[in-house]
Amino acid sequence: MRSATIPTGMWKLLIACVLTAAATAGAAPATSVDDCNAALPDCVVVGKWNFSLALGAGVRTNPLVHGQDLPLLVVPQFSYYGKRFYIDNLDAGFTALENGKNTLSLIASPGYDRIFFYRSDLQNIFVNIAAATVGTNPNPVPFPSRSRPITYLAGPEWTFNDHGIIGQLDVLREVTGHNHGEEVRTAVQFPVRISADAFSATIGLTWQSAAIVNYYYGAPRVYESGSALRPFLKLGYTRPLGRGWRFEVITQYEHLASAIADSPIVAHNYVVTSFLGFVNAF
Amino acid sequence: MRFSLGSRAGRCTAILVAAVLTGGIGEPGSGIQLELRPRVCTLAANESQCSTTVHANWHSPREESLCLVILGRSDVKRCWEHYSQGTYSIELVFSDDLLFELKDSRLDTVLASEALRIIREAIRYRHRRRDPWNIFQ
Repeated sequence: MRSATIPTGMWKLLIACVLTAAATAGAAPATSVDDCNAALPDCVVVGKWNFSLALGAGVRTNPLVHGQDLPLLVVPQFSYYGKRFYIDNLDAGFTALENGKNTLSLIASPGYDRIFFYRSDLQNIFVNIAAATVGTNPNPVPFPSRSRPITYLAGPEWTFNDHGIIGQLDVLREVTGHNHGEEVRTAVQFPVRISADAFSATIGLTWQSAAIVNYYYGAPRVYESGSALRPFLKLGYTRPLGRGWRFEVITQYEHLASAIADSPIVAHNYVVTSFLGFVNAF
Repeated sequence: MRFSLGSRAGRCTAILVAAVLTGGIGEPGSGIQLELRPRVCTLAANESQCSTTVHANWHSPREESLCLVILGRSDVKRCWEHYSQGTYSIELVFSDDLLFELKDSRLDTVLASEALRIIREAIRYRHRRRDPWNIFQ
């Protein structure tokens, strides 16, 4: 487990499979016109930017020693969908194959954990643009200070939607040359709809290779760890209010594996994210 | 003899019909040509209105007294007295087809008409990315 990695050959094979699927699909659009229309909330207009703004109160805890929690007051989100290419906040993707239930894409997504080290990380800006004071994180143990540049991970993504149950599996590799690590993100969301109100429960699991774990939480000869598993549970509630507004409550608990929690710079083995507020899509 | 009379009557009828169709009998308002530029406005998927300058040009084989109007747009009206041609340019914002009409000076009779049509680019939809791993989705 300590040296577990995704073989490079397997990762490249997955990429090749996705590209082959795209080539097989040819020039046809990713989605047939028949299974998507304006009445379906799961559908978006091709070629149009989408923006939303959430106003409310929330927090994301910071597991680092003396790490300050991140207040969630204003949450902007944006996306753009072309025929195949899309931008989803800081993620970008190319949809190779899509039908009513399954989607196969190649995606690029930023490394997540940097948000705990840099208040100015774009992933924090797009979660909260309100002014907030976040101090430095003085380390209680001798731990070499070093920068952790922005990383991007890329790889295939498979998602499915069957009877409202939504699943996601990403097999990613760091491609910006900072740690060469791998990450697998997976989650399944179960919806419960009562009239207009919608509840959802999501369970997920993130696996990070030792290279990524040590990039953020390790230091040579001070703390070197193996790969890490990070399961999470998320509960959500949404109530449409009309005129593009909706009321939303989200809470997520993510457990950090000992490979992360045992690091001298980590104080808590969990991350809790909660938000309650109003969202407007325009 | 009967054959000869019938042939002459038929020839006269044909000439009369041709004269009416071509406006050759010289009645006011006949033979007027109205042209619009542009004739079509194309809306992108994210647009709801056309905003463009429309140039209307008319000409007639004889002098006319007439007015150019747009059906349903009482604010647009341009009249000419004893002219054989005229041009009119106007900036318009519209979301449906417009019908330009040349009418006599009393606005009773339509002498010529031309439509400025809107063509909407077909709006295409696709599935939004399903990303339950993301906290806000």
